[in-house]
Amino acid sequence: MPLNRDVFWYKDAIIYQVHVRTFHDSNGDGIGDFQGLEEKLDYLQELGISAIWLMPFFPSPLRDDGYDISDYNAVHSSYGTLKDFRKFLQSAHDRGIRVIIEMVLNHTSDQHPWFRESRSSQNNPRRDWYVWNDTNTRYKEARIIFLDTEKSNWAWDPISKSYYWHRFFSHQPDLNYDHPAVREQMWKVMEFWLEMGVDAFRLDAVPYLVEREGTNCENLPETHTVLKELRRKLDEKFPGRMLLAEANQWPADLRPYFGDGDEFHMAFHFPLMPRMFMGVKLEDRKPITEILQQTPEIPPTCQWSLFLRNHDELTLEMVTDMERDYMYDTYAGNKTMRLNLGIRRRLAPLLDNDRRRIELMNGMLMSLPGTPIIYYGDEIGMGDNINLGDRNGVRTPMQWSGGRNGGFSIADAERLYAPLIDDPVYGYPAVNVLRQAETEHSLLYWMRRIIAVRRSTAVFGRGSIEFLYPASHRILAYVRQLGNETVLVVNNLSSTAQAVELDLRRYKGNILIEMSGKNIFPRVSDLPYLLTMGPYQFYWFWLRRI
Amino acid sequence: MREMIISELSQALYELARGFAHFLPRLIVMLILISVGWVIAYVVKVALRSVLRLIKFDKLAEKAGASQLLTKAALPSATELLSRFVFWVAWLGFILLGVSVLGILGLQEQIARFFLFLPRLFVAIFIMFFGMLAASFFSRAALLAAVNANVPSPRVLNLAVRSIIIIFVLSIVFEELGLAQHTMLIAFGIVFGALMLGLAIAFGIGGRNLAQRFLEKRFVREKKEEENEDELSPL
Amino acid sequence: MTRPQKGRVAARRTGMNLAEDSFLTDDFLRQLINVGEVDILVGLPTHNNAKTIGSIVQAIQSDILRFFPRERAVIINADGGSRDGTPELVTGVSIDDIRPASSLNALRTLHSISTRYATSPDSGVALRTILSAAELLRAKACVVMSAESANIESEWLAKLLRPVYRDDFDLVTPTYRRHEFEGLLITNLVYPMVRALYGVRIREAYTSEFGFSGRLGSQFLGQNVWNDGAGGAGVELRFTLAAIRGGYRICQSFLGDKDHIERRGAELVPALRQTVGTLFSALEADFPVWSNVAGSQTLPTTGAERKVLLAPMRVNRKRLREMFTTGIAELDSVFQLILSPSTLAELQGMSRLEDQEFHYSAELWVKTVYEFTAAYQKSVISRDHVIQALAPLFRGRVLTFVTENRDASADDVENNIEGLCLEFERLKPYLLQIWKSRE
Repeated sequence: MPLNRDVFWYKDAIIYQVHVRTFHDSNGDGIGDFQGLEEKLDYLQELGISAIWLMPFFPSPLRDDGYDISDYNAVHSSYGTLKDFRKFLQSAHDRGIRVIIEMVLNHTSDQHPWFRESRSSQNNPRRDWYVWNDTNTRYKEARIIFLDTEKSNWAWDPISKSYYWHRFFSHQPDLNYDHPAVREQMWKVMEFWLEMGVDAFRLDAVPYLVEREGTNCENLPETHTVLKELRRKLDEKFPGRMLLAEANQWPADLRPYFGDGDEFHMAFHFPLMPRMFMGVKLEDRKPITEILQQTPEIPPTCQWSLFLRNHDELTLEMVTDMERDYMYDTYAGNKTMRLNLGIRRRLAPLLDNDRRRIELMNGMLMSLPGTPIIYYGDEIGMGDNINLGDRNGVRTPMQWSGGRNGGFSIADAERLYAPLIDDPVYGYPAVNVLRQAETEHSLLYWMRRIIAVRRSTAVFGRGSIEFLYPASHRILAYVRQLGNETVLVVNNLSSTAQAVELDLRRYKGNILIEMSGKNIFPRVSDLPYLLTMGPYQFYWFWLRRI
Repeated sequence: MREMIISELSQALYELARGFAHFLPRLIVMLILISVGWVIAYVVKVALRSVLRLIKFDKLAEKAGASQLLTKAALPSATELLSRFVFWVAWLGFILLGVSVLGILGLQEQIARFFLFLPRLFVAIFIMFFGMLAASFFSRAALLAAVNANVPSPRVLNLAVRSIIIIFVLSIVFEELGLAQHTMLIAFGIVFGALMLGLAIAFGIGGRNLAQRFLEKRFVREKKEEENEDELSPL
Repeated sequence: MTRPQKGRVAARRTGMNLAEDSFLTDDFLRQLINVGEVDILVGLPTHNNAKTIGSIVQAIQSDILRFFPRERAVIINADGGSRDGTPELVTGVSIDDIRPASSLNALRTLHSISTRYATSPDSGVALRTILSAAELLRAKACVVMSAESANIESEWLAKLLRPVYRDDFDLVTPTYRRHEFEGLLITNLVYPMVRALYGVRIREAYTSEFGFSGRLGSQFLGQNVWNDGAGGAGVELRFTLAAIRGGYRICQSFLGDKDHIERRGAELVPALRQTVGTLFSALEADFPVWSNVAGSQTLPTTGAERKVLLAPMRVNRKRLREMFTTGIAELDSVFQLILSPSTLAELQGMSRLEDQEFHYSAELWVKTVYEFTAAYQKSVISRDHVIQALAPLFRGRVLTFVTENRDASADDVENNIEGLCLEFERLKPYLLQIWKSRE
């Protein structure tokens, strides 16, 4: 199945986030690679996803899971070669699956040749490629992002006897985007991959590109200028490719990253995600509806990206202190689970492995306005290992079978890049693709079905949203509309059965057709529409006037 | 001549005997009726007494203030009194029935009228009784209200209310009994009207000052009290 | 708007005994369905309280957000036919996503719903509505607030609720700091009598604001008090007595200053009916309970010690004396049926005394009250008349109390009240004796 040629393919996409290292090992060295990933493309095609987002796979000392890059134009030797990558890319495209890769613009590894040169002396031609200063007192208003490990945004370089700026780890010096050569070079890097056929970039840490004194050094206008330039060049030479912004900001602060449709195509809706978890725990839709009410309109060509979990901690930066305390107390009672103002757990453990809640959250993910991203392993309900430092607990090997090493690799268990999850509940003998593919009631089967329903219509990806506000606060209900297709979504956020009356008078005369079973429900009249819902149940209804 | 006298005498004796023979069975029936009537009346009395005891009739009578009257008049309790009264009425009824059997014409009519009168008598007694109860209750209510509202001369009010109600009840009773209906009605009208008129005059002219003070107390109370005192709230 | 549908009280009692008792309107029931299960329920009976209700509901809302931010809460307004927009003021304080108030930092939705239970106020029906809602919503901790507190301070709600919600008490009655001469009916009659008879030292047994557990609320709701006519006025006192009777855990919580919105306060006779009338009528059924109690226990009390406010207050003592004397004179026929000859003789003697010598001693007052209690129980005259007849005597007692404590310190006043209470306790056997006689 070839790729569809739609310029707005990203609006209908279902994205699968995966790190090549974690997926499948083809050469027995205990580390996943591109060949292995390619071998598993059939599985992904069956799942129904239409785009893969790859975590950084460039050469790197791996002190920040690959986000510290030491060569932008190659593939880390553990994962294969450029040739392997090209082959994988082609296979993906043959199956109609697009590929999104990471592009870390803001900083490089301190092992990158550019930095080595830059620090070697104050007169080096690449000196100004990074941000240097004699003192560490500039840009005082900028916050520290990795609070658990870093004490300052400046680090002392003993070689060139001055400080260099780093918003993240101290081994990730920031590039200086005020320097035209830097901007030129980074475009060349992107071009390299675009010409190979890569469909999109997730640009990491974009708010921090440019620094200015007297500001918090985030979201500055100069940063937007840089980004708009990149976009312009992209549209010129490679139409149909996409830029996805990673900017953990409030929706109002995120809005500028869409520009007038001339900057990013997509951005993550960070603040929504913790509120979905909060809403389910509180059994109250208020946190969810409020953040969406505050979400500004975006240009028609742009799209939000929604997700439940990712490779990082479940970030609680974009919530109030009271909300954060509540989330900590209810979702991360064990303090080990907390990291950097977030919770480092996978989806299934966060939801107590409650199948109903997992389905409900995925249902909301698939029906709220935006492009959904599935984190690898969540489709089978994988667990986590919080004892593997930093955020590695949610980056364990994919569990393919109950056999040796969970089918991930034929190497000895000690050689694996990380140990497999093997507790009785989430371990690979219990939770794996092989068994779930054989069982009709498995989570994997359910995910395939709901993805299929989602893909059967463009309403979810491209339609408008209007919230209904039933008086019962435990029910989250909204109507999606595109052209003359209308879908009603009703979610019961509580753990107990509910009766809800919806005011559907606007849709009077429509018959409701439940989308997964295709059964007919009563027609809408002037009276309030009564629905009874089981715990954590949700409905998707077509509204059909026949 | 002797024979004429003897035959007349024997004729008279014969008629007397005949009359006697005619009368005697009736007399016997009458005596039987009276005895049976006594027994029945007694049974009714006992039954009624038990029923009245059950519904605590005495208590009711006490509330009506009737008990006090009875004890003053050295009469037995209300229950007892009523039971005995019913006994006598019942027995009297049977006696009269017996007498009617005797066949003395004029008497029968009177007896019939008596029996027609009886229900009305009962109703009148009934009205009287509950009237007394109401008079007692309302007059006391008026008394208490007057005392608590600091109205002057509450006892007068008490008496007035009681009198009016009793007079009213009496006039109904008399009307029910059919005794001097019109007279009673007119009398009641006159008394009641006179009372009202008198009060009006008293208030209007003679009790002018009293009325003034009374009204002042009622309506000008607020201003005065705010100046001179604080009203305590009991709760 | 549907008309209220009243159902009959069911003879059969099941666990959820409200299914048959549907005196709640359809509309209210629908609103309750939408609210769902709650942890905390705040009941607010109102009738034309637009002047004070605004600040009260604001205080309630801020207390909930401050002290119970994670709990599911609801405000239930039982309105008795207000015409000044009171219900709208109450429902306006709800927090939800339909009318987002960005100034508030609230984790959850807060429902504030209102129902009109009648066209004229009836505290019995209002309480029943609130208790019904509490049972249907399975509220763990509830509180009834008064719509007339002109000076409600923050934390009143929390003070009444915390002992129930956190410390597992079943009933929390308030204590106030008030003027020594306010609430004399409570300090001179209700408090000592409840204390002596039921053995519990509840300062404010008759109160319009109190906290209670869902357990106690359901139990009271299930009792058939609603149909005996007296259920309306004084139901709050019945609630307290039910808690005592049922052996529930009771405590007191100091709230603050008590102030009525109108300084004139309640009329005496209706007040007597609500308090004394209710108490007397409860004594009959509760005889097995209070006849076996001796002495009294103190209750756990949180908050500051209750202190009296000493402010100069001008009392019309002449009027009190007058009403007492008039009462003794005019109600002679009534008192003869109620009081014992010796008590009546003493009172008559007292009424002839000069003002300076006038003294309604504690002992005499206790005897008076107890004899009234016995007379009420036997219905020597209509019971309501018995209550009314107490009024002039009470005024006499007020006169003595006011005179005695004219220059007293706060502690002295407390000691005097304590002395009166002990007198009530001491003479309890006398009550038992005359209760049983003349049967």
